Amino acid sequence: MSFLIRTLCFLIVLVTFARQGAERLMSAESISFNQQVRPLLSDRCYACHGPDQESRAAGLRLDDRKSALEAGVLDLTEDNENSILDRVLSEDPEYRMPPPEHSEKLTGEEVNLLRQWVQAGAPYENHWAFEPIPSSEEVLGEVADFKANWAEDNLDRLVESQSHARGLVHSDAVDREVWLRRVTFDLTGLPPTLDERENFLSDSSDTCYDKVVTRLLGSPAYGERMAAHWLDVARYADTFGYQNDMEMQVWPWRDWVIRAFNENMPYDQFIIEQLAGDLIPGASQDQKLATSFNRLHRQTNEGGSVAEEFRLAGIADRTTTTGTAFLGLTLECCRCHDHKFDPLTQEEFYQLSAYFSDIDEFGLYAHFTRAAPTPSMPIYGQGQLEEHRRIAEKIVEAEMRHDQQWAKTADFTKEDLNALVNQDLDLAPDFTDALEGGVPGVIGEAREFNGDDELKFKEAPEFGRESRYSYSFWMRLPESDKRMIVFHQSRAADDSGFRGIQFVVDNGKLEFSKIHFWPGNAVRVRTESRVAAGVWTHVVITHDGSGDAKGIQLFVNGVRQPLDTVRDKLSLDVRHRREWGDSDVGNVKLTLGARFRDVGFTGGQLDELKVYQRALTAFEIKKLFNATSEQTVEISQEDLRRHLIKGSQTMVELREELDQLRKLENDFATNLRRIMVMERDEDAGPTFILERGEYAQKTKEVESGVPGMLAHQIPDGGDRLSLAKWIASRDNPLTARVMANRIWYLLFGRGLVRTLEDFGAQGSPPTHPLLLDYLAAGLVENDWNLHWLIGEIVLSKTYQQSSDYTGDEADLTDPDNLWLTRGPRHRLSAEQIRDLVLASSGLLVRKIGGPSVKPYQPDGLWREAGTGKTYQTSKGEGLYRRSLYTFWRRTSPPPSMLTLDATSRESCTPRRESTTTPLQALVFLNDTQYVEAARELALSLLQASAQPGTERWERLFQILLSRNPSEQELAIVNQAYQDQKALFLEEQQAVDDFLSVGEREIAQVDDRIDLATTAVIVQMMFAFDETIMKR
Amino acid sequence: MKSPETKIEQREYSRRHWLSRTGMGLGAIAAADLLTNEETRADVSAPRSTIPAKVKRVIYLFQAGGPSQLETWDHKPLLIQRQGEPLPDSVRQGQRLTGMSGNQSTLPLAGSAFSFNQHGESGTWVSELLPETAKQVDKLAVLRSMQTEAINHDPAITFLQTGNQVAGRPSIGSWLHYGLGSEADDLPAFVVLITKGKGGQPLYSRLWGSGFLPSEYQGVQFRAGKDPVLYLANPEGISRKSRRTMLDSLAKLHAAEKERTGDSELNARINQYEMAYRMQASVPEVADFSDEPAAIFDLYGQDARKPGTFASNCILARRLAERGVRFVQLYHQGWDHHGNLPGGMRTQCRETDQPAAALLQDLEQRGMLEDTLVIWGGEFGRTNYSQGKITSTSYGRDHHPRCFSMWLAGGGVRGGTVFGETCEYGYNITKDAVNVRDLHATIMHLMGINHERFTVKFQGLDARLTGVEDARVVREILS
Repeated sequence: MSFLIRTLCFLIVLVTFARQGAERLMSAESISFNQQVRPLLSDRCYACHGPDQESRAAGLRLDDRKSALEAGVLDLTEDNENSILDRVLSEDPEYRMPPPEHSEKLTGEEVNLLRQWVQAGAPYENHWAFEPIPSSEEVLGEVADFKANWAEDNLDRLVESQSHARGLVHSDAVDREVWLRRVTFDLTGLPPTLDERENFLSDSSDTCYDKVVTRLLGSPAYGERMAAHWLDVARYADTFGYQNDMEMQVWPWRDWVIRAFNENMPYDQFIIEQLAGDLIPGASQDQKLATSFNRLHRQTNEGGSVAEEFRLAGIADRTTTTGTAFLGLTLECCRCHDHKFDPLTQEEFYQLSAYFSDIDEFGLYAHFTRAAPTPSMPIYGQGQLEEHRRIAEKIVEAEMRHDQQWAKTADFTKEDLNALVNQDLDLAPDFTDALEGGVPGVIGEAREFNGDDELKFKEAPEFGRESRYSYSFWMRLPESDKRMIVFHQSRAADDSGFRGIQFVVDNGKLEFSKIHFWPGNAVRVRTESRVAAGVWTHVVITHDGSGDAKGIQLFVNGVRQPLDTVRDKLSLDVRHRREWGDSDVGNVKLTLGARFRDVGFTGGQLDELKVYQRALTAFEIKKLFNATSEQTVEISQEDLRRHLIKGSQTMVELREELDQLRKLENDFATNLRRIMVMERDEDAGPTFILERGEYAQKTKEVESGVPGMLAHQIPDGGDRLSLAKWIASRDNPLTARVMANRIWYLLFGRGLVRTLEDFGAQGSPPTHPLLLDYLAAGLVENDWNLHWLIGEIVLSKTYQQSSDYTGDEADLTDPDNLWLTRGPRHRLSAEQIRDLVLASSGLLVRKIGGPSVKPYQPDGLWREAGTGKTYQTSKGEGLYRRSLYTFWRRTSPPPSMLTLDATSRESCTPRRESTTTPLQALVFLNDTQYVEAARELALSLLQASAQPGTERWERLFQILLSRNPSEQELAIVNQAYQDQKALFLEEQQAVDDFLSVGEREIAQVDDRIDLATTAVIVQMMFAFDETIMKR
Repeated sequence: MKSPETKIEQREYSRRHWLSRTGMGLGAIAAADLLTNEETRADVSAPRSTIPAKVKRVIYLFQAGGPSQLETWDHKPLLIQRQGEPLPDSVRQGQRLTGMSGNQSTLPLAGSAFSFNQHGESGTWVSELLPETAKQVDKLAVLRSMQTEAINHDPAITFLQTGNQVAGRPSIGSWLHYGLGSEADDLPAFVVLITKGKGGQPLYSRLWGSGFLPSEYQGVQFRAGKDPVLYLANPEGISRKSRRTMLDSLAKLHAAEKERTGDSELNARINQYEMAYRMQASVPEVADFSDEPAAIFDLYGQDARKPGTFASNCILARRLAERGVRFVQLYHQGWDHHGNLPGGMRTQCRETDQPAAALLQDLEQRGMLEDTLVIWGGEFGRTNYSQGKITSTSYGRDHHPRCFSMWLAGGGVRGGTVFGETCEYGYNITKDAVNVRDLHATIMHLMGINHERFTVKFQGLDARLTGVEDARVVREILS
């Protein structure tokens, strides 16, 4: 390479690195709008002269060539004082752009760039990420003329074409054992075992690298490793977040993710199932479970919260998460206003959000019960689904027999029926109260309510979903159009997400509900007509034990009322139940007149309450009414006939059979674990644009739709499945690029597009646009096979390079390795470091999936947070599971993981920062988990080689670093051993203390000082930079 | 292909470059702070721009749960006259109530059970519950017209501490640490202290989290007990000498690795191990009050002898401030008095009044008040009507975001000021509203930062503590 070219390249690179971000390359020959100009305009100008209409100043937009030309700012002729150059160069603070209060003056380089660009005719390009992805053939065609010195395969050619242009030279291949450690961490999150290392080093075949990759991709640990990252993207956690931060039990979804990766589910399918698995025709249980992805956002149950506010916040979260996770778009700002940098409007945000508002949900989770907020699905264990179906079928059959019995013409004579009319009926209630309360009633006194004080009957029977019952009472409504609670069997008002039974009057209409969790698992009926205020009215409500809307009847003054069904979706009990961990089990009883935090029955009166543990017949209800009323209601022949049929022995038996089956089913369903999922509700309400994103400021109604800038194709239909297919389409310019970039990030510690979360105008442009397109195209062309993508990268020469700095030009000018002349080198993740420590010590328990576990953490953290919960450290294997199974409490995440840059899982975060802090050192050296593991690893070293020395330390280095120590390192370790041993010899008690850290029983060893000393050496090696690095 | 002769020194790319690796632009320069020293500070001139810093550090006495302004700083005699009468619709103006009391059949006005008197030269009205703070009132700027947008605890406290109701933004302390760096060699720049054993409204680690800033800027919680910082103590049986010896060996391994790989990031790692070692001494030292004279315990109250109390944490805050800690965030829970407010307020004020007043005097006597900002306040105020019934001895108050009181004291703050007014019902602000963003802008201003210019790229936007909407520095309370 000539001196001139080298110098030129060097200068170019220097200039590049002088700039913040250090990624925009200058080139004398041509200026790239996408690579250079757009980032500048976007960063400095678009906030006021970009896509956002609201904040657009002087009507000028610079993101659109036509508008910019019309405004004349791209005209550099001398008499134009309004040219972009005049404005950015002006010394007059009033005139200068960007205005001094907003931004610094443009640098000389930036001004030059603008000048050259405008002089060249101000060419615009569409934003690279929104352009169609070319085929891999087309991509390779772009470098067909490039003569490679180093590259052999496609990927490497694309890399070398860039590094070569900058005069940079690639590194040599790394030692085989280092490559093995690198790829094993990258694909499984674990270090290679000694056997794996041995096998690889002794395999001299041509395919030895391929064999390793195939083995790793087929390992169950692969799914765990990929899932660990996806949990960050999906903002997965084990608790709801917000104030009380209760447990939300969504780990079955985490296990779905592991399964999906381990089955190598094609990425398009992976998207479709998570976004719309419920809508796939004939969806399997697993496909429905996948949709839990969109229910993992934070939720609150703080008292006094407005459900709608948080429902809409959840929908917004689903929208932005989908945008970031799959499309690499930042949509959050569009919730309140048009995007300032990308052509996305606020209206488009709400159109997109309409896809995610199609479920029957409340917005808050329950305060007094542990119900999974609806919609939810059961997680069936082995054989349970079939069992449940069997019971359900039996119920259907029994109901049919029961219903057919009504139709059978019973052999009653007119005389039988007439005799019944005058017969004394046993109408003695199971519970009654005369409600003598000081105001004139229907019989004696009645009770008037003040709206605040409850009247609770502890002796009243508690009713469940399957109970048969009747409530009978007289009621006098106050003049009010408010919705008021009359009676209930529950704990608190709507904002508590309560469970139970309630009867309310809403502007004169009577409404009865049985609720497991409102609205998705509840039944609610309402009268069509209104009851007048100020007059005594007799009300009877009956339920036949079916739990269905049609099983509820409502009688006003002896007349059965036509009912509107508001919800008919009850499938679980309406009692508080111990099995679910609900509060106040057995103590939630019939209560009149008011409810905690609800609008009470202010000024309303009640009299003559009677409660029955059976459903009264129309005949009985009319008798009850006639007995206390001045008026009477006529009893029909049909009333009598039905009463007699109901009393028949056959019917009694059929009812008993049904009751038993229903109780069985109710209990069976109770014991099933449930998880929140997406389940389309055809009756879901419309979506509105929210002014400033505020829940109460609904403006225009919008239909579901995708952003116009991505309308390369229109979704086929308006539901979530059509959106999912549109995202997972080969033609979507973003989806494959975002995923290819994500995989690159996982392997190299940095994306080709650094901003994994933002492929828009403000994101970083790709360092290697062709390489990114090649990988994206290849992913699509290989039917979204992630194994192909990963294999392509890890078997490349680029990946196999040494990551060491050798002091060549690339090290000086490209320390960040943008041009990929070195292999990847970055710190392992929080999960990988802990897993490494556990795996190397032999403590790691290789069980896949299941409820999250609670390994060691310092005492008192949860208690101090003040939620009244205490961290219950797991016993036994729960201490030693892989870190992705560690219980993730959003308001108090595992502290050692946070210290190592894990995200808080409160929102979708595809990228972790990597920091170096003193607190990390404290974790490596003092966390019980690490100390105990050091001792266990030391123990295994002692067992393998009885004497401290080369053999033992070689083994230690092989286990942790996959390599042997150098002579120098051996000398250091040997000396360290002697130093530590001397200290332990001075104080024998210290040996016992040190060896007793952790739960694991310590094995008998002859030389405890040797063990303790070796454990300190292991500790030192845990904290060694190379151990915690991937290099 | 490679030239093996190249000297190691030449291979090392500059530290400045390493700093920019966080990709965070301007403020990232401050990432140097844990490597520490003044030389890097010059690079941070941009956020400070032309504003001279009035204070070097902040001690924020956060009163979590929403302390009632009506029993502390906002004297409303009319409520006593109108005791029990319903809140007039003309006052409420249809504004949002929480679901806690919004469904009550009546909203009876409740006057303070505690009397108010004027104090100091400024004649500021202070409740009898705060006798010690009242004596310091001429040091305070009382904001009687604070308002927030959130009505529930979680969004409200998140807003106060991070500038956004939505989780995931950096806390005030993280912003300041990021922008200004650290002046403490062997202590974290941002320390969190929580009164022990209070309970009440929960606190969340996100309140001192670094959000989208690198995690090194998150607050470090100091806890009462043998391990003031998580994982600080060596394992049983490992002495300080043993650790020193081991770290020396580790340093040799690292030196060898650096020689072999040329990776200068190892410098950072080595420095962090050394700093961790120093912290193992410096943290217990700062938490050990045995060198505090009896007069100090007299000043803060005898509670201060119990580690983890608010009083003890106030002394600890001062000790941290003395050692250069940039931001000390205290939390005292238990102010959420929906019911039995008088009893609750008595307890809360007894626990906090004297220590807060003592902190001001103690800082002053050490000459530190002039360059320290002390802030007192919660996440919102409380309603002027009672939640639940008013009895002869008790009443409760619901959340009220529309007005509440806070105070600031210290460098750059004009003592003896009362700013803003609420209506005679204590429900609406009638003059000089100060919203949360204004408070943040003012804090930053005192630290020498222009809040509009101190930005970090996040989701494509220039994110700032004060958010996208207008915020102003409350100059009226500045000296």
